[in-house]
Amino acid sequence: MLVTGIKSKPIYAPLLADAAGRYHLMLGHGVGGAPLERVLEELAASTPQALARTRVLYVADAGSVDGYGARFSARVRDVRQFGGVPELLADFRALLTTSLMGTRLYVAGPESFIGVAMRIALEFNLNKDEIRAEECGSLARRVYCIHCRATTENVRTNIAQCVACRRHLIVRDHYSRRFAAYMGVMADAEVPGELPPIKEVFA
Amino acid sequence: MTQAATIAVEVAAIEQVTPLIKHFTLAPLAGGTLPAFSGGSHIVVVMKRADRVHRNPYSLMSRPGRLDSYEISVRRMETSRGGSHFMHDEVKVGSRLEIAHPVNLFALDKIARKHVLIAGGIGITPFMAQLQDLHAANVPYEMHYSVRAPEHAAFLDRLGEEEGERLHMYYDSRGEVIDCEGLLTSQPLGTHVYVCGPAGMIEHVVATARAAGWADSHIHWEQFSAPPVGDAFEVFLARSKLKVHVLPDQSLLESIEAAGVDVPYLCRGGVCGFCFTKVVELDGELIHNDHFLSADEKNSGKYLMPCVSRARCRNLVLDL
Repeated sequence: MLVTGIKSKPIYAPLLADAAGRYHLMLGHGVGGAPLERVLEELAASTPQALARTRVLYVADAGSVDGYGARFSARVRDVRQFGGVPELLADFRALLTTSLMGTRLYVAGPESFIGVAMRIALEFNLNKDEIRAEECGSLARRVYCIHCRATTENVRTNIAQCVACRRHLIVRDHYSRRFAAYMGVMADAEVPGELPPIKEVFA
Repeated sequence: MTQAATIAVEVAAIEQVTPLIKHFTLAPLAGGTLPAFSGGSHIVVVMKRADRVHRNPYSLMSRPGRLDSYEISVRRMETSRGGSHFMHDEVKVGSRLEIAHPVNLFALDKIARKHVLIAGGIGITPFMAQLQDLHAANVPYEMHYSVRAPEHAAFLDRLGEEEGERLHMYYDSRGEVIDCEGLLTSQPLGTHVYVCGPAGMIEHVVATARAAGWADSHIHWEQFSAPPVGDAFEVFLARSKLKVHVLPDQSLLESIEAAGVDVPYLCRGGVCGFCFTKVVELDGELIHNDHFLSADEKNSGKYLMPCVSRARCRNLVLDL
């Protein structure tokens, strides 16, 4: 039922430092702190002077206290911690308006976090060769209802109910970078009420 | 692949714009309109001389959207293989030429947040059309134009009038040079740089941009290298079963075409990759002059771009 094999499904790779960049802007959410720590270590070893031109924006998982902030601060002067993703993204956007060419963006965290960060990067014409992203943490999806255009957050099941129109949607692998969401299509349009078994597939 | 049909044109006007540059207006012989194009496009002009055919690429300079004629400019090269001298000395108002359809290998990025255009000398030509596209777009840009001396600054009146403060002029004769490092370390995110001019200028701009951390997707350049001259050599075309002799001042592609074998091409300057050809046998060395193949591909000796590359060899067999 889950439509797979669709090319728009993003593919992520382990985060590596890009020494060709002049400025390094890093965004992390939750366990995304680990890859960022690794990249900082890599920069410290290969191009330590780059750490002076590095910024880290980080938000811990809700309700949890982790030690990433302190560990980032040991290497980088400009570390900013936020209480939530929206606050982090607002600061990210403000930073991009004054950032210069030569900037590399690193994003680590759940795919939904990567997606919304990438969407902002896209507005600033950051291209694939300027952005690196590593997916870690929850696979929960943002799902865009193609019928009412609302976005449902944190979808973990193959069939999800739209937060706005209450339709049951099949979550496809068809991903939109512009909406930073997977497309959800009404599951029981042919026979109302006839739904496939609902399973958790995006843990 | 056979070549798309060419378009017959007539030279409607010629203007000497600098001591070295002539400007040609080409109108369709059959009347009507020419194919549409976007800023940065070039055409290939077919010049039929008594003993050989030249096909040289020239950037379209007219306003995209104006299709009753095309405008190109030709700089007279000191060491011409014949093409630029033919255009300067033999082509008159009323002369008939053939041109290939426009192709754009130097397009403006459509979602850029800013454009920085850098031209050296005759390299201004693709920008003349791009600037027209930019007037219609709501995106900031700067034009940096470097020439030898004021008398060599082609189209300066028009540029000065239309571009105002966006135009920055640099004259070698006054010791003025473009501060590439200053320029490329201070651009906002989403800026694209475009450079067209002498090889040294392109290399300098590309290297400076990379050193400033620019990703390659934001760096654009166009250079039509004239096919370098070299020693004569022979080549065997395996599929056509033809032996072809390449003269010192003739390109491999021209020699193959003269033998009646079609090779697909777009730029004829070592940029586009269309004439990519496989080497079947080689006893000697290839002289790669293109900007398309990677260093590994060049070293492998398995491929070459016949528009600009040659060989120094006893035996060369191509898959043509």
